[in-house]
Amino acid sequence: MNLWKISIQNIKSKPLYTVLSVVILALSIILLLGIQQLKNSFEYQMENNLGDIDMVIGAKGSPLQLVLASILHLDNPTGNISYHDAKKASKNPLIKLAIPISYGDNYKGFRIVGTTKAFPNLYHAEIEQGLPFENPMEVVLGSTVAEQLGLKIGDKFLSSHGLAENTEDIHDDELTVVGILKPTQKVIDRLIITSLQSIWDVHDHDTHNDGTHGKHDEHEHEDDHVHHNENNHVDDHLDEDKEITSLLVSFRSPTAFLTLPRKINQQTNMQAAMPKFELNRLYEFTGVGFKTISIIAYLILIISGIIMFTSLYKMVKERTFDLAILRTYGASHFQLIKIVAYEGFTIALAAFAIGFVFVKVGFKYVFKVMDASDKVYMLQELPHQEVLQVGLLVFIITAVSVLLAIYPILKMNISTILSHEK
Amino acid sequence: MIYSNHLTFQYEKKGNLFSFPNITLNEQENLLILGKSGIGKTTLLHLLAGLLKPTEGNVIINDTDLHKLSNNQLDKFRGENIGLVFQKKHAIGSLNVLQNLQTRLYFSKKKVKNTAIEDLLKQLDLYDFKHSKVTALSEGQLQRLGIASAVIHEPQVILADEPTSSLDDENCDIVMKLLIEQAERTKANLIVITHDYRVKSCFQNHIIL
Repeated sequence: MNLWKISIQNIKSKPLYTVLSVVILALSIILLLGIQQLKNSFEYQMENNLGDIDMVIGAKGSPLQLVLASILHLDNPTGNISYHDAKKASKNPLIKLAIPISYGDNYKGFRIVGTTKAFPNLYHAEIEQGLPFENPMEVVLGSTVAEQLGLKIGDKFLSSHGLAENTEDIHDDELTVVGILKPTQKVIDRLIITSLQSIWDVHDHDTHNDGTHGKHDEHEHEDDHVHHNENNHVDDHLDEDKEITSLLVSFRSPTAFLTLPRKINQQTNMQAAMPKFELNRLYEFTGVGFKTISIIAYLILIISGIIMFTSLYKMVKERTFDLAILRTYGASHFQLIKIVAYEGFTIALAAFAIGFVFVKVGFKYVFKVMDASDKVYMLQELPHQEVLQVGLLVFIITAVSVLLAIYPILKMNISTILSHEK
Repeated sequence: MIYSNHLTFQYEKKGNLFSFPNITLNEQENLLILGKSGIGKTTLLHLLAGLLKPTEGNVIINDTDLHKLSNNQLDKFRGENIGLVFQKKHAIGSLNVLQNLQTRLYFSKKKVKNTAIEDLLKQLDLYDFKHSKVTALSEGQLQRLGIASAVIHEPQVILADEPTSSLDDENCDIVMKLLIEQAERTKANLIVITHDYRVKSCFQNHIIL
């Protein structure tokens, strides 16, 4: 027998209090660690997906929506822009790289992006199997797409209209898988990439098949099918008639930040949005939510500290005679304090372990389930510093609870306790 | 061996002053201290155990003056050399019978073989309950566990406070017999403090307070 074993037996003899203390403390730890992990994952995901993109040019509307739609593929695009105007804007000497993208179709919920072969470079994505697309109707799959859909090189599939999975509006033109990208942990993992021409051809073909289709689409899917050529003269393949969703731009010089967006916003019918600026605005909105949940988590932590103190204090008071008996056995004050401290820290350690494991394993499971429908979030590892901070906080709360709970031990008069017990 | 000289104790500055007769017990001698309620019997026992510090006088056990020891030294000395028996519950509620005895040994820093623990439990008819929680024991079993806890570490002095007061005659005899047997086995001095005159015949020496 030793002090640890006595503490463990004491804990086991009060299962209800122990479970209550552990559950409440674990809950606050889950909230604190969870919110940090979500916040970090969210911000990392956002910033990681920016790649080398300094500016997005798209149709006028909400700049945040344009960024979310064109870079993070989270929202519907603001509309279409003329490919000709976009190319003209991209010729500015301050622009190092400009990549057009056009989208509005999906395959089983994964977005199909029409773009150039330079698009994967924005995300430092490399081909793992096969080759980059060369011809229309050839596609390269992001790693998640290939893994989740089980597609291989040479497989063919039909895309469906819009950004959400549907079985009603299927295009006739088959797309062929020619390449699969290596995992990047970026949004490109969840995209199907093809040439701009593929997108235009698919929709030109649809328009040929059904002369009313284009107009009908525009009406019904105004938001989610913006690459559609509004012009019914689909045989005219001049750039002037073609449309894209947006242009992803990388600057050559920082001075471009000062001049280019304003120039585009003022002198064209297009909109220039700065991803970093828009994301900072987004963090301000989401930050309120994170902060609120954090405050709630801290409140629960304080409550759990109070519950732990109450539990330990009650234990000390209820076991006054037991503790007095231990003193007659030769236990010192310090040894009795250690017994109480071990109980407190055992509860805290159990709660921390449960909270940590839940956040590590539970969140992964939750996100895995979410992934099936959302296909957007990728959970980041919990930063060690955050874990240490929460661990330190729990340690302090436990230490304070123990220090307050041991007061009766310090004031203990064994003789009086033993006399009264008679 | 235990000696006390001119022991006095006052609970409050202006409270009653208890004065106690001197005690001198040589090796393996036992003593019964009889007295009415409120006369200071328990106070005397606590002074002898070092649980209270006397206003005057001293207690010497095996050449060690208890009240000259520091608090830590006194805790250690008590753990190693004194066994206390109380009238009622005398066990740690969260532990079972065996764990209670192991706890007693842990604090006394004495190594005792498991067979010795089991022998003692057999002697006290507690062997079949060694894994029982103390909350599941009867009053008589608890009393016997109290005696086991007081003697398991083979102390120099066994101090018993009203060990038979709530027992019927038969159990009173059993408990006294057990205490005396265990004191003989461990070669300890046994001091019983009680108002129960039934136990007077068990002792050659007695003091009436």
